[in-house]
Amino acid sequence: MAPPAELHAQLVALLPRLRRYARTLARNVHDADDLVQLALERALTRAEQLQADAPLAGWIYGIVRNAWIDEVRARERHTRLLTPEVGASLVSRVSGPADAEQLAVQAALASLPEEQRSAVALVLIEGLSYKEAAYALGVPVGTLTSRLARGRDALQRLLGEPEPQT
Amino acid sequence: MTFDDETVMAYVDGELEPLARAALEAAIAGDPQLQQRVAAQRVLRTRLQRAGAAVLAEPVPERLLSTARGARAPATILPPARARRPARRWSWPQGGALAASLVVGALLGPLLLHPPAGPVTTRDGRLLAAGALAQALSQQLASTQPADAAVRIGLSFRRRDGAYCRSFLLRAPSPLAGVACREPDAWRMQVLAAAAPGAAAGGYRPAAAAMPAAVTQAVDALIAGEPFDAAAEAAARGRAWNR
Repeated sequence: MAPPAELHAQLVALLPRLRRYARTLARNVHDADDLVQLALERALTRAEQLQADAPLAGWIYGIVRNAWIDEVRARERHTRLLTPEVGASLVSRVSGPADAEQLAVQAALASLPEEQRSAVALVLIEGLSYKEAAYALGVPVGTLTSRLARGRDALQRLLGEPEPQT
Repeated sequence: MTFDDETVMAYVDGELEPLARAALEAAIAGDPQLQQRVAAQRVLRTRLQRAGAAVLAEPVPERLLSTARGARAPATILPPARARRPARRWSWPQGGALAASLVVGALLGPLLLHPPAGPVTTRDGRLLAAGALAQALSQQLASTQPADAAVRIGLSFRRRDGAYCRSFLLRAPSPLAGVACREPDAWRMQVLAAAAPGAAAGGYRPAAAAMPAAVTQAVDALIAGEPFDAAAEAAARGRAWNR
């Protein structure tokens, strides 16, 4: 297990990326940050469960994702209604208006089923290895790569060729 | 030699094992179609990374930084930054003790004035179910309860420490909802909240739909796994709600 001081430093370093991943799950910036907050609290509570050989990134991304699934289940439990989440608010609040390309990518990503969206986000955006991403999602590597392939195919169909740069 | 899509993707992701990578790289020079497939995957990867880059440049909110640094004990107190904001589901502390103390104050006085058959009592500093409420928590099944029952049982579930908990709606002396968890000698209140008039009046609404937000939030903070179905609820009663 990582010594506490080291774990804290690693979590701080991962924060910008955890916020980005949370935004592909939650509907808005506030919900995404609340999700990260909850995941941090859970991660620190469960630090002793972190195996020495476990990939830290896979572990903490997995906690973010499981916290999101808990939240979706809680909503379903109380409303008895299934409201599919359309999220992926990757557009930054502070970097000015997003360009059309960024909005198109965001919308395409948001339209994917969560399993494919998470696989794409963790590997292609967050840069996790297949092994780390599979660990985060709690699935075998083969399942991850098949979700990743389906997600990519859907994105290629939705996005087509990029607009020429002006 | 042909390469399937997952192989091309793994190549672009840097995940191809050395032998397969060498084979693909040997083939690519003389295979324009393969070149195109690799290029298309590279373009998609780049587009996704560009779309996500802006978030990384944002300043990270201080509340997240201080939590990550361990500046406060996790999940024990409400951070000041979020106490100023409307209560959100996942700002609730685990265990529900604080929730009970926040919600119960104004409600508790009148309830305790209904001895000996009032719905709650205190013992050893604990707020416990009593009378008809305690009886219903121990005996009544949500799956079979009559629509006009004086106490309506909502969800039954296990808390993170394994204890059984049940949410309930009470019609009298005033419309009241709450969550109680089983301790060895009694049902201990985790949260109590005023329910909307008529909420406990029965009818066709599931009890869960009529619960005040404070109660549903407490359930979220407490629950481990899923709420019980009828069979699990009956089985737990069969064990007298002992862990």
